[in-house]
Amino acid sequence: MNVIGKAVRKVDGPNLVSGRAKFSGDYRFPRMAYGAVKRAGVPAGRITSVDVEPAREMPGVLDVLTAKDIPGPNIIGVLPPFDQPLLAADEIRYAGESVVLVIAESAEIARRAANAVSVSIEPYEPILTVEEALAPNARKIHESGNVTCSRKLIKGEVEPAFARADVIVEGTYETSFQEHAYLEPETVCAVPGHRTTLYASCQSPFHIRGHVAANMNVPASSVRVVQANTGGSFGGKDDVATEIGALACIAAQRLDRPVMIAHERKESIVGSNLRHASRIRIKTGATNDGRIVARKIDVMLDGGAYASESPFVTMKTMIHAAGPYKIDNVEVKSTAVYTNKTYCGAFRGFGVPQVTFASESQIDELADKLKIDRLEIRRINGLRAGDANATGQVYEESVGLQETIKRIAEQPARPEQADSDRYLYGTGYACVIQGISNGAEGVDVIGASVQMSQDGSVLVGIGLTELGQGSRTVWAQIAAEVLGVNMESVSVRLVDTDAVHDSGPTVASRSTTVGGMAVLKAATEVKASLLSMAALMMQTEAENIELRDGFAVLKMDDSARIPTPQVATAAYWTGFPLMNLAFSKAPDANFDEETHQGTIYIAYNYGTHRMDLRVDTLTGDVEVLNHVAAHDVGKVINPLGLEGQVEGASLIGYGYAHMERIRYADGIIQNANFADYAIPSIKDRIPTVSIPVEDPNPTGPYGAKGVGEPPVAAAAAVFANAIADALDVRFTKLPITREDILDAIKRGNYD
Amino acid sequence: MLIRFTCNGRPVQIEADPQTRVLDLLRDELGLTGTKEGCGRGECGACTILLDGVAVNSCLLLAGKIEGREIVTIEGIAGEDGALHPIQEAFLDVGAVQCGFCTPGMIMSTKALLDEKPAPEVEEVEEALSGNLCRCTGYGKIVEAALEASRRLVQESDQGGESG
Repeated sequence: MNVIGKAVRKVDGPNLVSGRAKFSGDYRFPRMAYGAVKRAGVPAGRITSVDVEPAREMPGVLDVLTAKDIPGPNIIGVLPPFDQPLLAADEIRYAGESVVLVIAESAEIARRAANAVSVSIEPYEPILTVEEALAPNARKIHESGNVTCSRKLIKGEVEPAFARADVIVEGTYETSFQEHAYLEPETVCAVPGHRTTLYASCQSPFHIRGHVAANMNVPASSVRVVQANTGGSFGGKDDVATEIGALACIAAQRLDRPVMIAHERKESIVGSNLRHASRIRIKTGATNDGRIVARKIDVMLDGGAYASESPFVTMKTMIHAAGPYKIDNVEVKSTAVYTNKTYCGAFRGFGVPQVTFASESQIDELADKLKIDRLEIRRINGLRAGDANATGQVYEESVGLQETIKRIAEQPARPEQADSDRYLYGTGYACVIQGISNGAEGVDVIGASVQMSQDGSVLVGIGLTELGQGSRTVWAQIAAEVLGVNMESVSVRLVDTDAVHDSGPTVASRSTTVGGMAVLKAATEVKASLLSMAALMMQTEAENIELRDGFAVLKMDDSARIPTPQVATAAYWTGFPLMNLAFSKAPDANFDEETHQGTIYIAYNYGTHRMDLRVDTLTGDVEVLNHVAAHDVGKVINPLGLEGQVEGASLIGYGYAHMERIRYADGIIQNANFADYAIPSIKDRIPTVSIPVEDPNPTGPYGAKGVGEPPVAAAAAVFANAIADALDVRFTKLPITREDILDAIKRGNYD
Repeated sequence: MLIRFTCNGRPVQIEADPQTRVLDLLRDELGLTGTKEGCGRGECGACTILLDGVAVNSCLLLAGKIEGREIVTIEGIAGEDGALHPIQEAFLDVGAVQCGFCTPGMIMSTKALLDEKPAPEVEEVEEALSGNLCRCTGYGKIVEAALEASRRLVQESDQGGESG
């Protein structure tokens, strides 16, 4: 292949390195106004009065909106139950909740005016923990109660299997909230007109269009959403982009002026979704030969004030909680609960990091109890092609877990260190499984268009978004490969709901796999048209011709060739179609609602990580000496992009495991800035080496499957296991910070 | 007040409140939106520009302080023919760009470093870029890009030296 599998530059890269790429905040329109909101500031209560007059009276203030000014239902959400207001009308459910929107001539005036608004709130005793939410007489945060959703997975029978087990390990593990911390805070810009146009930093423009239109009380066709260059999302720019997108559009139509709403960093942390905190109980039974015979798992997720993605995160944690292992008896219950805290939703990994940390910690504990090598126990139990996974689904192909374990096992041992009286050294292993495609979370259809101009250049359109992950480059590579042109000839449209087909949300590591298939199909149709034309021109059959290097080439004599632009021009004048819109539909999930047994995802990514680290017993400092991440990706499309995904996701996992903790006090986030909520800096980076394993996936283009999410979970879990190995103390809560480590060392007399 | 300074090699005179952040002056008055705002508190480095050759956070710099001084932004480092700067090329070639929001700031900090120290050690790259956050890449490829750019620039100047 000429382009697939080759390291290529990002197709949208030149604009990004030169400052020419327009992000939402870079748009400027004549008479543009700016919006800012007044937030509740208390975690729970009932609004008794709102005095907007102080804001209205300020020079430069153009409009002030409260809940009653929302033309539509004043409700958004990613999934049923849609339960989140744009502006709170009555009840306050979290401190970051928006109550009043102020529009002014400048962002600064809007902010000052929003601060001048006086909102009187009769406070309720906030419900701040899962236990409080589930207490028998707890106040109901929503009418439906405090359980957002609860699901069960049942495979086999766990209790008899536990009775047969030689050893049983049990434990409870906890994880903290995590903030996305993309560098670009959420920003939108609405331009009014007969149809409203919204330029948005966002992840799923078609979803936003629907919710914006509903809240404006107009048909979806009256709203056009254009995805601006988006400065990172990681799952975080769905709900909040809908919220501020709808507010900006409503305000723009009222004023008949463009309106920009740009979050400050603090708002980006307190007023947009986080990763769910969790408490996970696991019981694992095994026989003396290391075979796991049963796992029983109870996952409790703190979802904060609104449902957001909780229903699907619940499902995903449940499906992945038992890990990438062949276990005949599995029972998982997963429950998401409302609390009076910032709502939780999608974040790269989508529930899998939480359960993987818990599961992989316990696999190590089991190995130690059985006195079996920690990597060996993973090999013994790890899924192979033909095995039934936790939902009973059997994949006959593309189950590359064992190969990732093998590649990790081949890594050289950690060198012996001479300075070990001050330093403790540890090595950890962790495996991960992560479903690709919407799977159980919904129908999965993607529409992609490919067109060739008479000059031989190619334009790809698809309704999935580039968020930095390099998907546009992958789609361009697929089109270039099929049509035999170089990468420079291929462009990929911005996502404009007027110009590309609805392709569902950009989630679930589905862009390469399901999106790539749609591009492949559309490009193949255009290729057929070009081959037919070339066959007429060469007076032969289409099957005797191939497209490569910018030419239609006769296979048997490659000196007989016609430049592709000439073929395209002839096809145009002959009326042969040079554009195709193709759809890729993943097979529907098919499972039992009570047990979740059945077919769920079109493929899984499997991975194994190893981490070697050194702990300074005087300071608690951790230095990661070696981190190897082997993932079965089916087929590498762009090695540069793959490495970038694995390295970047791994550092998010490392931050999650070691550095990042949202600190609440009385329901208010205390560290809503980058000084106090420290994400890894360049000095905190880890030396991740990516080892791709290629076990071809029949449902992906050229055998590929997604890899954007799984390294987060594996990197977090492997850090915990490496620390446990170094200290001989197992932490059961993430993050495991430097202070936690130092405390443990002090308690343990390590000198 | 009237503020006079040099921006990307051209003289600028502009009427502005001296309390205006230079970040806003660049983005709103001069239309140079390549400089980004990520936090507004000097914690993320997305707004990094060069002030008399030194990398600074333009969100913490007030317009009154730039009178008579020289500013370079991401828009000002490409060649006169529009060709990308070797640092920009290196970022693309090694895959150091994902979402691209931190990239202008990263490139400006890299430029300040390489102008000062053409062949830095890894630790010096880390130090120079420690004020620039990135959430996408994991930083490995950013370090690689800075070192690759250094090699190319050194090679370029060696060749320039030979021919001159």
